[in-house]
Amino acid sequence: MLERELRVSNKLGLHARAAAKLVQLLSGFKSQATLLGRGREVNAKSIMGVLLLAAPPGATLVMRVDGDDEAEALSAAAALFERGFDEDG
Amino acid sequence: MRRALRGVSASRGIALGRARVLQPRALSVEETRITADQVPAELARLHAALDATRAELNALRERLHGALAQEVGEFIDLHAMILDDPELLQGLDDLVRTGRYGADFALKLQRDRLASVFEGMDDDYFRSRLEDLDHVVGRVHAALHRRGDDGIEGLAGEILVCETVAPAELAAWHARGVVGVATRAGSPLSHSAILARSLHLPLLVNVAELLAHANDGDALMLDASHGELVLEPGADDLRRYHARRDQIGRERAELARLRREPTRTRDGVDIRLYANAESREDVAEAHGLGADGVGLYRTEFLFLQRAGLPTEDEQFLAYRDLVLGMAGRVATIRTLDLGADKADRTGLALRSEPNPALGLRGVRLSLAHPDLFLTQLRAILRASAYGPVRILVPMVSSREEMLRVCGLLDTARAQLRHEGRQVGPVAELGAMIEVPAAALGLGDIVDLVDFVSVGTNDLVQYLLATDRNHEALAELYTPRHPAVLRLLGELFAFGRRNGIPVAVCGEMAGEAANAPLLLALGLRDFSLHPSTLLEVRKAIRELDLASLRRRAATLLRCHDRDAIERWLERC
Repeated sequence: MLERELRVSNKLGLHARAAAKLVQLLSGFKSQATLLGRGREVNAKSIMGVLLLAAPPGATLVMRVDGDDEAEALSAAAALFERGFDEDG
Repeated sequence: MRRALRGVSASRGIALGRARVLQPRALSVEETRITADQVPAELARLHAALDATRAELNALRERLHGALAQEVGEFIDLHAMILDDPELLQGLDDLVRTGRYGADFALKLQRDRLASVFEGMDDDYFRSRLEDLDHVVGRVHAALHRRGDDGIEGLAGEILVCETVAPAELAAWHARGVVGVATRAGSPLSHSAILARSLHLPLLVNVAELLAHANDGDALMLDASHGELVLEPGADDLRRYHARRDQIGRERAELARLRREPTRTRDGVDIRLYANAESREDVAEAHGLGADGVGLYRTEFLFLQRAGLPTEDEQFLAYRDLVLGMAGRVATIRTLDLGADKADRTGLALRSEPNPALGLRGVRLSLAHPDLFLTQLRAILRASAYGPVRILVPMVSSREEMLRVCGLLDTARAQLRHEGRQVGPVAELGAMIEVPAAALGLGDIVDLVDFVSVGTNDLVQYLLATDRNHEALAELYTPRHPAVLRLLGELFAFGRRNGIPVAVCGEMAGEAANAPLLLALGLRDFSLHPSTLLEVRKAIRELDLASLRRRAATLLRCHDRDAIERWLERC
């Protein structure tokens, strides 16, 4: 199991479009993925779950990944967060 | 009794019809229990409904193309993701199998479980995603109760009155003959509004008191252009309706007649109209409208929304379909035009860029991956065996780039010849002029190209240093700027002197109001989306080229946008 702190760095926060990108990305991996933040713990492969976090810009979340491809899944997700979900331009 | 309600116009137009009031779905599903031997059948019914809903969303997704696919598509994708959400699906089977609940009630339990958390949220945006969940659950419920045909009877000729409308519902209603929609809530900025406009379906939103006053079966007149919904319209309203209908009918008929007419100015000069296309529908439409060919075929769709890169054969088949679809008219295929902002899922862009508009994009990205570029060039050359093809290279900024493209094209030809594959006689090479340096330095690459196409969307953005998506800069972003017009005038003149065809393929060419400007500056080849082709043809047929050309000098002396607008008013 791997864990990492991630910062929501895009302008709009984890809204529908960004959440969809994250879920689509993680769905390509076998590992289980969980996001923790704002007092909640949600399935990061669930669009409704990720939306439930309602994470605003600048929020810090913890992603926990568990499974055969956990390292790849976590680094791909972290990269997406770092790229600000490919928005702004 | 006549009553007029005010609303906000989300899609213009006028309609007269019978009201059908859809009260908001509260999902009041009663608790149903099943017996053990009913379980397999109930599970089958549930999964058939889920599959049917998935198929509906897919079908809707496929009907969209062009700009609409981007906008509304994301919305539909979101709904498709909600439908496949493990939080919704996992446990659903269990509720039926072990809980012995009917499929409807099991679905409601899952929906309520998710909804209870959303309802407690303090952010409007996230709380309103509950609407998306309910649209999806509503569709599955509808699918569960569909018997044989789709169960929705006679919507033709009706005006729907409801709380809100989802894009998917709107498309289905339109297909069934609904003539207009009025909603109590909603916004002109919603995806539904964008879709309604593209379907030419009148849509009025934000109509207060709507559901309190409208009843099933009322006669309604929806004048979305003027923001009004009239219940039980009177004689004056009906006169207004018929006058507007007649006018709209005349305008449409006039445009339809132009399908088979040449694009010829009043003084008898033929202008060429090419189509911008990215889907089979666009190509078919272009052909039906009498386009002179395809002036810009975007190939990005082959690379996006998929895992891995398309093979040479996949690309070849798509390009061959395009060439065959044009039946002998030229097909201009633009090589991959992706940047860091769009290429992430192809794995081509290595990381995000601080400034993707000025980054590794277009031909720069292709040249950074020569194997990939060679594959695309080979596929295009193979398609040229079936009809005339032109290869358009995006984002060129220097001679060195064009030399490398020529080198790769020579390699591709030599390889294909060596393999005994056929290449057509016509496979011309052209550069897209978007970077100011390429516009000013056209003379430096002219010996390497057979044609050029000016991408005004990016050229204007780079020339004016104005992001075209920047909300605060909307006033600054315009092709009606003296520097833009002078540069275009020089490009067209250069093309004429050197015998190189120069086309314009940006949105500027697709706006009928710009036709006098472009003709005056010397443009002869327009490339535009098929949806605006007839309007531009109509505008060109009403213009006198010789007198416009005489007035070009005055146009080029304009010092500001006002002067350009005044010049246009005198056309």
